[in-house]
Amino acid sequence: MLAISIMNGLVIGVIYALAALGVSLVVGIMNVVNFAHGELYILAGYFSYLFASALGVNFLAAMLIAIALVFLLGILIEYTLIRPTYGNDMYSLILTFILSIVLQNAYLLIFGPYPNKPPLWVKGATDVFGLFLYGNQRLAALLAGAAVIAIVFFVVKKTWFGRIIRATSQDREMAELNGVDTTRLNMLSFGLGCALAAAAGVILTPVFPVTPTAGVPVALTAFVVVVLGGMGSMWGCVVGGLMLGLVENLGAAFISTGYKNVFGFIILILVLLIRPAGLFGRAKA
Amino acid sequence: MAGKKQALLSALILAGMCVLPLGLGIYPQHVLIVSLFYVMMASSWNLLAGYTGQVSFGHAAMAGIGAYASGILTAKAGINPWIGIGIGTILAALVGLGLGALCLKMGGIYLSLTTLAFSQILHIIIVNEYDLTRGTMGLQVPALMAEYDKLSYYYIMLAAAVLILAILHRMIHSNLGLNFRAVQNDELAAKSVGVKVLYVRVLAFTVASAVAGFAGGLYGHYLLLITPEIPSLDLQFYVLAMTVIGGMGSFIGPIIGAFALNILAEKIRDYGEYHVLVFGLIALVVARFAPNGLLGLWKRFKPIKPIQGVKQKAVPSP
Amino acid sequence: MALLEGRKISKSFGGVQALSQVDFSVEAGTIVALIGPNGAGKTTLFNAVAGAFKPSSGQVVFDGRDITGLPANAVCRLGMARTFQVTRPFAAMTCLENIMVAAVNRYPQKPRSFIESFAREKLNRVGLADMEGFEARHLNVIQKKRLEMARALATDPKLLMLDEVLGGLNTQEIQQAVAFIRSLRDQLGLSVLWIEHVMGAVMQAAERVIVLDQGRVLMTGTPHEVVNDPRVIQAYLGD
Repeated sequence: MLAISIMNGLVIGVIYALAALGVSLVVGIMNVVNFAHGELYILAGYFSYLFASALGVNFLAAMLIAIALVFLLGILIEYTLIRPTYGNDMYSLILTFILSIVLQNAYLLIFGPYPNKPPLWVKGATDVFGLFLYGNQRLAALLAGAAVIAIVFFVVKKTWFGRIIRATSQDREMAELNGVDTTRLNMLSFGLGCALAAAAGVILTPVFPVTPTAGVPVALTAFVVVVLGGMGSMWGCVVGGLMLGLVENLGAAFISTGYKNVFGFIILILVLLIRPAGLFGRAKA
Repeated sequence: MAGKKQALLSALILAGMCVLPLGLGIYPQHVLIVSLFYVMMASSWNLLAGYTGQVSFGHAAMAGIGAYASGILTAKAGINPWIGIGIGTILAALVGLGLGALCLKMGGIYLSLTTLAFSQILHIIIVNEYDLTRGTMGLQVPALMAEYDKLSYYYIMLAAAVLILAILHRMIHSNLGLNFRAVQNDELAAKSVGVKVLYVRVLAFTVASAVAGFAGGLYGHYLLLITPEIPSLDLQFYVLAMTVIGGMGSFIGPIIGAFALNILAEKIRDYGEYHVLVFGLIALVVARFAPNGLLGLWKRFKPIKPIQGVKQKAVPSP
Repeated sequence: MALLEGRKISKSFGGVQALSQVDFSVEAGTIVALIGPNGAGKTTLFNAVAGAFKPSSGQVVFDGRDITGLPANAVCRLGMARTFQVTRPFAAMTCLENIMVAAVNRYPQKPRSFIESFAREKLNRVGLADMEGFEARHLNVIQKKRLEMARALATDPKLLMLDEVLGGLNTQEIQQAVAFIRSLRDQLGLSVLWIEHVMGAVMQAAERVIVLDQGRVLMTGTPHEVVNDPRVIQAYLGD
C-alpha cells in the first residue's frame, strides 16, 4: 500500500513538475500567471483523444500533433490577450481567469461532460522490484515525464536559446539592450509554456481521463509548486512537484482522501508567509 | 453629476425599485432578488479589486462563511436567523481581516493566489465536513419570516442592498476613498505622501468581506438551502464578470453589471445552460478592449459637460 | 543642531555595497545639493533616509528624532517629503485629487472644503491651476514634475527631498525651477536636500554640496570648493 502510494506520488509528481515548469517559464519571462494553464493541459488530452481514438491516428503522432496545436494556440493567446496587458499583472490575471472559465465551458459544449480517454500506450502491469504490481501505462508516464523534463533542462542550460531565456528572466532590460527581441521571446515563451502543459496533458490523460474541468486542479497545483519550489528555479519545480505529489498521495492514503488537495494549498500559504522565495528561489533583498 | 441631481435620480430609482415587483410574477421577482444579492457582492468585490487593486478570488468564500455560519447556527442550534446572519457577517469580517493581514506583504499575483488557495481550502472543508454542513447535499435552513413570502424577501434584499451601497458610497467619497484610490494607483507614491497603506488595504478586505458575509447570509436564508455552490469559484467568476463588465473602479458599474448579467442569464437559460460561456466571452472582450467596462465606454462617448472652472477640452494639449 | 543628520549610513543589496558609512547633515532653512557620478548611491541614500527601505546600519536623525528604519508614511508625517526621479503620479486621479491625497493625510480632521482650497492653492503655486480637473495620466513630463512638487508641498514638510527634478527641462524652465525652489527656502523657510545632475543650476542655489562616489562621501563643501576639487573632477571623469 505504501509502495503504491509512493509510486503514484512520483508519477503525478513528475506531471506536476512538468506543468509547473510551463508556468515558471512564463512567469520568469513575462511576469504573467496563466490561469488557463490547466485548460491547455486538458485540451492536449482532448486533441490526443480526438486524433487517436476518434480518427484512428497513431497514438504517438496524435500526441505530437496535440502538443503542436496547443503550442500554436498559446502563441495566439499571447498575441491577442496577453501582449496588450504587458506591465499590468492584474489584467493578465483577470483575463486568463476569464479565459479559463470560457474554455471549460467551451469544452463542456463541444465534448460533453463525460470523460474521454486517449488510448493507452502500453497495457498490462509490471512486477516492480518483485514487490508489487504496477500499471505499465503509469510507469511509461513516469519515464516519459522524466524524459521531457530532462529535455527542458538540457535546452535551458546548454543551448543558446536557453541562455537567452535565462538572461531575459534575470534582467529583462539588460537582455533588450543586448539585442534580444523580447516581444518575440514573450510570444515563444508563452507558447512553450503552453506546450509543456500540453506535454503533461498527453502523458497523463491515458491514465486519468479527460473531462472539461479536470485541468483546474492541475493548474492550481502547478501554481503551488512554482511558489513552493521558488519562482525562477527549475530544480524548484522538479523537487516541489515530486514533494507535492508524494504529500498528496501519502496524505490521501494515510490521513484522508477528501482532504487530499488541501495539503497543497496549506503549503502554498505557509510558504508565502514564511519563505516567499520558496525552496530554491532567490531571496528578496 | 452634481450632488442634488444625483440624489434626486437615486431617489427616483429607489422609488421605482420599490414599486417594480408589485406587477411581476414570482419568477421575475426571484431574478430581481438574486440580482440584489449580486449587487452587494459585486460592489464589495469592487472595493477590493477596483478601488484598492487587490484582486481577491476568495470573495465567494466569504459569502459562504456568512451563509454557512448562519445556516449551521440556525439549523443545528435553533438560533434566530437574523442573529445568525449578524454572527455570520462578523465572522466573515474577522476572517477577511485575517486574510487581508496575511496578504499584506504580498504583491498582486501572490495575493490573488493566496485568496484562491483560501477559497479552495474552505470549499474542501465544507464539502468534507458532512456532519456539520451536509456537504454537497446542502444545509436546509429556516426562512427570515414566519410564512415564506417572496415579496417580503424582495424588500429585505432591497433594503439590505441600499444600506450597503449607502455605506460604500460614504466610504468612497470620504478621505478613505481618496486613500483607497491612491493605493491602487501607486502604492509607493501613496506611502510617500503619508497614506497608511497597510491600514487601508486591510480595512478594504475587512469591510468587503463583511458585506459578502452579510449578503451570503441573506441569500442562504432566501434559498432555504445552503450548498457549496455559494463558496465556489463559479460564483466568484460571476461576481468578477459582473464587476469587470459593468466597470471596475466605478461606483455604479458593478450595480449595472449585476443586474444586466443576471437578467441576461435568465434569458439565455431558456435555450440551455450556456450563460456562463456567454458571460465569459463578453467579459473577455470587455476586459480586453474596454477595461473600464460598460460604464467606461459610456463615459468616453458621452458629450463633454462643462466642468466648473476648467477649460473645455477632453484631453489637455501637451 | 542640523534638521537632518545621517550617521554612518550603510546599505548593501545581496553582495553589492551601495552605501558605506555615509555621514551628512542638512541645516534648517538651507539648500543642500547631493551630487555624484551615476551609480554613486544618491537615490539609494534618499530611499534609506525617506523610509523606502531600512539602512543596513547607521542612523538617521530628523528634527532631533531617530527615524532610522521608519516607513515612508511615518517619515512623511514627521515633516519630510520627497519626489521621485521618475515621477509617480496617481495616474487615474485628477490633478486636484492627487494633491488632495497628500492634504487629507496631513489634515485628516479638516472638512472637504478646506482640503479642496488647500489643494488648489498648491496647484496654483506650481502653475497647474487650470489642470485641476484632468487626470494626471494626461500630463506631459514637465507638468507631472510640477504636480509631484505640489503634492510633496501639500504634506506641509519641513524638509523637501528632490530627486533630479531638472532633467529634461530647457534653459528657461531650469531657471524658473531654480527660482521656485529658492523661493521655497526664502519665503516658506523650507530646507531642501537636492539630488541633481544639472550642475550649473544647483551650484547657483545650493549653500552646501555633498559629493557621493561609489557609496561613500567624497567631500562636503561650498559649491565653489567642490567644483574646484581635483578628487571630484576625477570622480566624474574617472569612469
